[in-house]
Amino acid sequence: MINGTVVALSRWQFAMTALYHFLFVPLTLGLTFLLAAMETVYVTTGKQIYRDMAQFWGKLFLINFALGVSTGLTMEFEFGTNWSFYSGFVGDIFGAPLAIEGLMAFFMESTFVGLMAFGWQRLTKVQHLIVTYLVALGSNLSALWILVANGFMQDPQGAKFNPLTMRMELHDFPALLFSPDAQDKFVHTSIAGYVTASVFVLGVSAYYMLQRRHMALAKRSFRMAALFGVLATAGVITLGDALGFVGGHAQPTKLAAMEAMWHTEAPPAPFNVAAIPSQSQQRNLWTLQIPYVLTPLITHTTTQSVPGVDTLEAQAVQRIKNGIPAVEALKRLSSNPNDPQALTQFDAHQADLGYGFLVQRYAPNQDVALATNADIAKAARDVIPQVAPIFWTFRVMVAMGLLMLAFFIAAVMFTLRNDAEKHRWFLKLALWMIPVPFVACEMGWLVAELGRQPWTVYQMLPTWMAASSHTVGYMVFSLAGFLLLYSIFIAVEMYLMVKFIRLGPSAHGRESPAHGGGSAGTYAPAAMLK
Amino acid sequence: MKTFWMFLVYLLIALLVIVLGIILGDIGPWYFAWLVGTVMIVLISAAGGALLDTQEEEQESSRA
Repeated sequence: MINGTVVALSRWQFAMTALYHFLFVPLTLGLTFLLAAMETVYVTTGKQIYRDMAQFWGKLFLINFALGVSTGLTMEFEFGTNWSFYSGFVGDIFGAPLAIEGLMAFFMESTFVGLMAFGWQRLTKVQHLIVTYLVALGSNLSALWILVANGFMQDPQGAKFNPLTMRMELHDFPALLFSPDAQDKFVHTSIAGYVTASVFVLGVSAYYMLQRRHMALAKRSFRMAALFGVLATAGVITLGDALGFVGGHAQPTKLAAMEAMWHTEAPPAPFNVAAIPSQSQQRNLWTLQIPYVLTPLITHTTTQSVPGVDTLEAQAVQRIKNGIPAVEALKRLSSNPNDPQALTQFDAHQADLGYGFLVQRYAPNQDVALATNADIAKAARDVIPQVAPIFWTFRVMVAMGLLMLAFFIAAVMFTLRNDAEKHRWFLKLALWMIPVPFVACEMGWLVAELGRQPWTVYQMLPTWMAASSHTVGYMVFSLAGFLLLYSIFIAVEMYLMVKFIRLGPSAHGRESPAHGGGSAGTYAPAAMLK
Repeated sequence: MKTFWMFLVYLLIALLVIVLGIILGDIGPWYFAWLVGTVMIVLISAAGGALLDTQEEEQESSRA
């Protein structure tokens, strides 16, 4: 059995690299479409200011894009280096979307990013606009395939375990691509990126407006980001609910943890606004509840029951008992693939194979035939992920989403009246809002991934058996290396962003006083983009 | 105070739209919704930018 510390360190390493990477991704996803919107106005109206806007925000996009790519590459290798059993077990399915992501979206994105950055003087206006849209589409398609792969881990659709090859095999690609989890997750994540970019553009524009610099660019960017953001935030909340609805059916254990529901209650169940969950006592030490709200929130009905931890653990006991014969049959098939009795036994119990694996770690000598009721009870307890972190990260994410909705509505109101610059308190608030969507995105990722535990592939492959068999020393060394390297990347990103934001748009000198332009720009880093 | 009430009205409208979206889209064709929604968001944002130009031109002409 793989050392538990190695598994924990492998999880930490992937979590840290993914969390770092996910600081860059949402801004890339959203900023590309905002750039496309700015350039669309430039092409349709011919006004230079929109070209200046597209070039200035494009410069910040490039900084973010470069660092996003460099942090993302290592993660693809981590599947092989740190999660080799997982890669072998589901490589047939997982490899397809990952390869498409690499070949199609990634190359498409990278190629057109080059054209977008260096093509201003070489392409016609319309050609450049098409290129910008292709960059936007490419970056979001890149996210699509990653999230299809992740959707499979959350809700394995379109695949079947083959007892003769001892791995999962893809048998229905459309089911994989169009799984409800993948669809919801992609749209939720992509639009969360739009929100992130909108808050970022709005915050930086507010900074210029506070300083009364680059007013033409700032006011237009503020307006476009506010409208972009309010619609995107409404979308992200709607999709968040859809994801909860789909997840409630596909991953009831995650849902129980998100809501700190230790016991199944008669519908309509109360909603825990705040709680102090105790995993060891399997109860909430303190709660603040709103009666009758949870059931309609989760099921969109008032009569459907939402299973709590007690029910889910009881179901897990039965599924583990049913999964044990599947693992036993698999053992026999590994030594004799032509054993018809073993094959029949496996077919009868294969639905709960993953639950059989779950108890294997507690069984004497990892022989599931020797598993006692106490072992089964321990494994059944494992199916409930850590409630407190999931409960609170989910609430932080939701609170931030609602905060951003209110923020964007106020921004839209002020900008439509064309007096945003008069509300200095709001401009200062906009600056402080910049980190909010980044934190919300990180929280969302934590809810999704912590909530999937103890599984790497939900109900199929437990995390404890998915990792590679490294030494603890190797894992500690590589984890420390990644932390150091990625912290440097973050520092570089912050430095470059702040530097280029302070310098301002390169073409500022071209702004006419009629556009509200202030003093001439102090810097011309346009060479970077021409 | 008027601004605050307007803010509340808009916030309520936004929440109503979200609730409608939730009711209508339990298991929706979300990829399609993403395509349509993204185009809509981009166009409305672009139109907002163009509208600002018109507002500023109007303000200037009224000042002149």
